[in-house]
Order: sequence, then C-alpha cells, then structure tokens
Amino acid sequence: MKHWILIFAAVFLSACATSVERVASDSAIDLSGAWNDTDSRLVAEEMIQDALSRPWIAEFSGRTGKRPAVIVGTVRNLSHEHINVKTFVADMERALVNSGRVDFVASRDERGEVRDERIDQDLNASEGTRNAAGQELGADFMLKGQINTIIDAEGKEQVRYYQVDLTMISMADNRKVWLGQKKIKKYVKNAKLRY
Amino acid sequence: MITQRLALSCLFSALLLLQGCASWQVNQAASSLTTAGPRATLARLEQIQTSDRDRAQFLLNTGVLKLYLGDWVGSRQDLEQAKSIMSSMQAVSVTENFAAMTANETLRTYDGTPTDQVLVHVMLALGYLMSGDLDGARVEMLQSNVTMKQVADEDSTLGQLASARFLAGLIYEMNGEMDDALISYRRAYAIMSDRGETIPQALQTSLLNLTKRQGFKKEYEEFSGRFGRQAELPAKDEGEWFLIYFDGVVSNKTDTRLSVYDAEVETMVSVVMPHYAPSTYRPRSLTLVGEQRQSSGIVENLEVRVREDLDTERAKILAAATVRAVAKYKMVQEAQSKNDFSGILMNIATVASEQADVRSWNMLPASVQVARIKSKLDQPVSLAELARTLPSQSEFTSRRKAVVLVSSLNQELYVWPPLPQPEPAVPVVEDMTAVEENPAQGEPDATP
Repeated sequence: MKHWILIFAAVFLSACATSVERVASDSAIDLSGAWNDTDSRLVAEEMIQDALSRPWIAEFSGRTGKRPAVIVGTVRNLSHEHINVKTFVADMERALVNSGRVDFVASRDERGEVRDERIDQDLNASEGTRNAAGQELGADFMLKGQINTIIDAEGKEQVRYYQVDLTMISMADNRKVWLGQKKIKKYVKNAKLRY
Repeated sequence: MITQRLALSCLFSALLLLQGCASWQVNQAASSLTTAGPRATLARLEQIQTSDRDRAQFLLNTGVLKLYLGDWVGSRQDLEQAKSIMSSMQAVSVTENFAAMTANETLRTYDGTPTDQVLVHVMLALGYLMSGDLDGARVEMLQSNVTMKQVADEDSTLGQLASARFLAGLIYEMNGEMDDALISYRRAYAIMSDRGETIPQALQTSLLNLTKRQGFKKEYEEFSGRFGRQAELPAKDEGEWFLIYFDGVVSNKTDTRLSVYDAEVETMVSVVMPHYAPSTYRPRSLTLVGEQRQSSGIVENLEVRVREDLDTERAKILAAATVRAVAKYKMVQEAQSKNDFSGILMNIATVASEQADVRSWNMLPASVQVARIKSKLDQPVSLAELARTLPSQSEFTSRRKAVVLVSSLNQELYVWPPLPQPEPAVPVVEDMTAVEENPAQGEPDATP
C-alpha cells in the first residue's frame, strides 16, 4: 500500500513541475489549433518565393534601371483571431532586401521617429554627419494585404481555414503588379476529457 | 483509524469552508459595487485570495471593472486570460467531477455560463473599439459568432446575445461592411423577437437605415410597417452617435438549503442549491440629445439572462446534489456503525461541506442599453441625465460616426474616436498676487 502511495505521489509531483525544452525554431508544434509561428513561417516562405519569382521586379528594373522601392502599407487582420501580421511581413522584408533586388522604405509609423531624429541632427549633429531633410527615397510600390478566415465548428471539432492575400500596388498608376496568396486549412479536435 | 478519517473529514470541510469564504467575499464586493464604485471594488477584489478554480471568475470581474474605469489595456489582458481559461475548461474533468459528486460543486473550475462565454467577447470588443483597434474588435465579434453557434440549441435562445449581434453590426458599420452589419442587426432582431422583448429604437433605426441603404425595399417596408417609422439616414452634413450604456449591477447568486433530519438513524441530510432572488432591478435610461433625442433602450437584460442560465442548469445541479446526499448519508451510516460520536462528527462534516456554487460573473451591468441618433457634424450632443455635453464631430473626427460608452456606476464618459485633449493651462505670470490670495484659481482642474 505504502509503495502505491509513493508512486502516486511521485507521479503527482512530477505533473506539477515546470519543464522547458529547447526546440528548433522551424519545428511545428500545434497546441490549440490557433494561428501560430509555423503558419506565419509558411506564409512568409510562400510569399517570398512567389514575389521573387514573378516578373514585376525585372520589369520595373528593366524599365527604370533601378531597384523597386517598396513600402509596407496596411495588412488587415479580418480573421477570427488576434494575429500579429508583423511577423511574416518582417520575414518578407528581410528576404526581399537580402535578395538585393528590392529596397524597402520606412513605413508611415517608422518614418515619424526617423524624421524626429533628422530634426534633432539638424540642431545637434556636426555638419559633416548631418543628414538633410528632403532626401528620402519615395516608394515605387505599396504592399497591402489581408488575412481572412472561415471557421466551421461543431461540438469539439473545428475546421479552420486561413487565407492570406498580399498585393503589390504600383504607386505611379495603381496597377496591381503582384498578387500573393497562401491558404492554410486545419482540422482541430478538442479534448473531451481532462485530468 | 476512524479518528484519523474523521480528522481528515473535518480538515477537508474546513478547507471547503475557507473556499466558500472567498466566494462570499467576492459576492459581498459585488453587492456593494453600486455604492463603492468600480475603483474601490477593484482594489477590494485584488485583496481577496482566490484559488485557481476561481481564477476565471476573478479575471472576468477585474476585467469588467477595468472596462468601467477606461483601463482598456488592463481590461483586455484580464478578459483575454479569462476567455482562455474558460475555453480550456470546456473538456470534462474527471477529478473535478469526482470531487463535485462527493463534496460539493465549488470544487469544479469556474468555466462560465453560456452568457459569460459570449459576453466576454462583447466586453473585449468594447475594449478594442474604445482603444481604436477596430480590427481587434472585429476579431472578437467573429469569435462571439463561433461561440454562439457552439452553444446554440434549437429549442431555446440560450447563449444567444442580442447585445453581441448589435455590437457586431456597429463594428461592421464602422468598418464600412454594410452587408455584414445588416446580417448582425437582423440576428439581434430575431433573438429579441423570439424572446418577446421590446426592440430598442437604436436597433430599429439600424435595421431601417441599412435595409434602405442596401436597397432591400420589401424588407425595409416590412420593418417600417412593424416599427411605425421611417429610416433616418444621415445627410451629407450629418454624423451618427452611438451610445452604449451599462446600467446597474447584475444580481448575485445565493443559496437555498434544504435539511432533513432522519430521527430513526439520527442523521441530518442537507441539499444546497444556488438560486437568484427575484429581481428588484428598475432600469434607468440615458438620453442622447442632438438634432434628435433618444433614450437608451435595453438590448440585453442580464438580470434575465443569468436566471435563464441557472434555470437550464438546475436539473443537472439537483441531480448531482441528490447523488452527493446519498453518498454522504452512506458515509455517516458507516461512521455511526463504528461508534455514535464518530457518526455525529461525520454528519457535521458532510453537512458543512455541502455548499452551493454561488460563483458568477457578478460585476456585470444589470442591463446593456443602446441609443443611436444622427446629428449635424458641427452640432454638439449631450447626455441629458448627466448634464454633459460632447463637442461636435467636426471637432474631433472625420469618420461621421462616434461611440459613447457610459456606466451608471461611475458615470465616466468614454468616446471613440477620442476627444481632443484640452489645451494645458498656461500659468498667468502677471497676476501672481491674485493667485496667492486665492490658490484654487491657480489650479488648472479647479472648477469655477
């Protein structure tokens, strides 16, 4: 009897302990079925590959002789979840800039701080290191998009469908030069019993 | 051996009584919310030690109190946590069921009633909306739709909240999604009609305006005939004001104890059931005055909703209480067979451990009321009962739509889009002598 109590206590106490395990950042771990880092990464990978393989960059560079400058506009979250869209947009920015074929300019939110700093430089920085106003690179394209979801739920089961649409719009003439899309579908079964 | 078991039983009962003490303290805090106000009640609530089982109830209450106080970030954090706990507790717990069947219902983790599960999205959406995150508010409304589908029952409107549908309509309208807005308003109307409730004027206006605007002529005429009024679409120089008004505080649960003494076997059997006393709530409305004048109308009577939720659960709770009473009776019998004294102690322990689950989201308003008027863009509007005037929309927004959130508990007034901040008072240097003579005049917040 005493042995059983000891075994039970050991199992019970081990269940109470916090455990942490390092895992690869690209490993897929789904806990709740909600949008997670894996989904964000899949979207970024798909969009980067698609954006770089389409003719809009070559067409623009061939016509103007320079790399296209892109500004990130609004990526709206119209889904059922509070999704941080900045993660896959940042992944895209990094990959496109690192490809050496596209420039990104600061977004509306980021610009304010940079301009404040430039004003401050005007007052406080030495003349040789000062950056003048009015020299900003204007964007040639704006990246906009949205995430939509369709959720079908019955009892403890759910089908979650995510569709991410990104669009590159020419600032000169409003042409849509690239349309990227990624669809993710998940079947989630929630537990009926818990401890 | 028997003494040890008795000591354990008594200890267990004492722990259960302590647990009940926390629930009692929360209920006391909720009872005094009207007089103490949200800030003092929040401070009082944060002093109460709650167990993990009561965590969701605690967070729901702190979340809604923070919403009354305009702490959008704090409110969202608490309500998101509560939502997450309630969602993870939907699976049936083996251990909690066993404990509830042998001791009492308070040993289950609080996972919210159907009304709580939907209303948490409503409160979160309001927090997102008032902090300017329309997409965040929209997310909550989509989630409330999923939750309402999950709790839906063909034979009742349990867990279907007209307030959630109305707010979804408002948020879709703000986003310019008129088709979705109309669908939400229609659903709000269907829920209230099924319940035989009076359709508030704000919902009538929403249905009339959107059916007319979207060109649903036949439906518009049906609504127009039913409500006896026409659409009130704003003209080019007009904007719209929406009022969301929380009135009063919802009732607390109390318990009813039924004790039967069986003289033959000298045993007391006790069954305790949670219940709501008859409501004494008298709704008070708030009047939005602009170009038009409209008193807020009830879109959700939470006094009724919480009682409906409990009524639905009553049969299940009674069945569990009966099983528990039989089990406890057997335990007392077994103890009595050893000796009389242990039988008496066991009987005291079983009766003391029998407690009703009186936990609820008891700091909610008693009703959610709404009003909707149009007004000239350059005309200020006022809230008649509060004697407060709001600046004209042309002074703070180009959206042509503004939302006002008020709670009767503190009568604080929150507006989205945010009102322009008053210019900081500049100290008058020349007139220092006058300030020294009467220091109150020098304080920027001092009222004349």
